[in-house]
This record gives sequence, structure tokens and C-alpha cells, in this order.
Amino acid sequence: MAEELHKKLQQEIENFQTLQKQYQKTLTVRQQLGGQLFENETVKSELDLVKKDQEVFKLIGPVLIKQDNEEALQNVNKRMEYIKGELKRIDDTITDMEKKQDSQRDVLNKLQQQYQKAQIGAAQKG
Amino acid sequence: MSAKENHEGMQEIDITKLNLQQLSQLKQRLEQELSMYQNSLQSLKVAQTRYQNSKESIEKITPECNGKEILVPLTGSIYVPGKIADANSVIIDIGTGYYVQKDLDSAKEYMKRRVQFVTEQMEKIQAMGQEKSSIRDAVMEVMDGKIQQEIGLQKAALAKAAAAGKA
Repeated sequence: MAEELHKKLQQEIENFQTLQKQYQKTLTVRQQLGGQLFENETVKSELDLVKKDQEVFKLIGPVLIKQDNEEALQNVNKRMEYIKGELKRIDDTITDMEKKQDSQRDVLNKLQQQYQKAQIGAAQKG
Repeated sequence: MSAKENHEGMQEIDITKLNLQQLSQLKQRLEQELSMYQNSLQSLKVAQTRYQNSKESIEKITPECNGKEILVPLTGSIYVPGKIADANSVIIDIGTGYYVQKDLDSAKEYMKRRVQFVTEQMEKIQAMGQEKSSIRDAVMEVMDGKIQQEIGLQKAALAKAAAAGKA
């Protein structure tokens, strides 16, 4: 009985750890996306400040290509839109994962209590 | 106590009402956040110095530099001689692969803006870090109290059990 419980407990702990690892990974991705969005925002605010006589270039591979300011702005806006979508998607995943972790934690707690009870019971018998 | 509430720090939580496990979770999270702040501060410091250096470089360029010779780095270790064709403007990397040609004054303005922005962020993070570390201290204090209490209870229970065993 105790043996079985012990195995199950270990299994659930492993499950919990994988969940936590996944959660951490998702958090890092979120952070990266947040950083990208922020960078794009600063670029946009800079492009907004560009005057007519100032030229805008885009780095493509090792060369700078002259680009229309309007086009650059559109590009940045499009990219921001995309990143915002991704952020929303990942935020949903994160709340989902938090829920999963909480429920897994409950399962673990219950098992642990059961296990402790079983051990105490065994000790008393002995 | 859901993770979100405490992550955003919006919800008021009475830490004396949390149990030990919750407290240690909270402490762990606070410590993670604190080390994150430390890292951010460091990268901000690097960025600040870079912008400052760029600004100083721009200040060295004057219209008299036109046509003067300069060594152009091809790689980190190879230089070729060249001539400054246009000392009135520089091209600035504004991020995500975009570059803008600016005259010296607006380039200087740009660098100033960036330095100011970065400094502001650093101040913000510092304030946030201080707040978090004082919260962490409070949490640790409560934890200490709870642990002492727990030990006391256990001792009492043991003494009771021993007394019952003797009887």
C-alpha cells in the first residue's frame, strides 16, 4: 500500500516538475516578445520624429538599403500588430498553465497527506 | 492567493494569514523578481554607457572634419584609410534593423534622449527593487515567526506523547 502510494507520489512530482519547466519556458518567450514589442515601439516613435529631409535605411544582410519613411512606419506597425497578437496568445497559455500547476499542486498535497498517514499508520502497527 | 494577484501586486494580501508553503512560494517569487531587476539594471547600465560614448563621439565631429583622413575599421583588427565625405550627418541605428540619417544636432539630441530614457528606467527599477526587497524582508520575518511557532507546537506534542507513553 505504502509502496504504491510512494510510486504514485513520485510520478505526480515528476508531472509537476515538467509543468513547471514548461511554464518557465513560456515565461521566457513572453519576456522576449515583450522586449521585441518595446523595441518596435521605440523605433516607431523615432520614425515619427524623422523629418522629410532625413533618410531612412533598413539593414538587410550586410547592406543598408534606403527606404521610404512611410513604408518603414507601415512595416513597424505591422510587426507590432503581429507581436501583440502573439503576446495575447501566450498570455492565455500562461494563465492556462498557472491553472494546471495549481490543480497539480492540490493533487500533490492530497497524495502527500495520504502518504504521511499511511506511514504513520505503518509506524504505529510496528 | 492566485499567482496573478500576487504577481501584479495589486491585491492586498495579509502575509501573516498565509501558511508556510505559501510564504516560501512568495519569497521564492520575490527573489526571482529581485534577481531579474539586478540583471535589467546591469544591461541598462551598459546601454547607458554606449549611448553616452556615441554622444561623445558625435561631439568630436565638426564641419571642419570634411575631407579629413580617417581609419575605417573593416573588421575588429583591420583598418583602411579613408576620407570623411560628409561630416554634417551621421546614420544612427534606431533598432530592429532601421537606420536614420540625422544631422549632428539631431543626432546629439537623439543620444541625449536615449540616455535620459535609460536613466529614468534605471531609477524606476531601483525603486521597484527596493520595494520588493522590503516586502521580501517582511515575508522572511513572518516565516521565521511561523517556523518558531511550529517548532514550539511540535515540541509540545512530543512532550505530551512522551508523558502519555510513560503513563
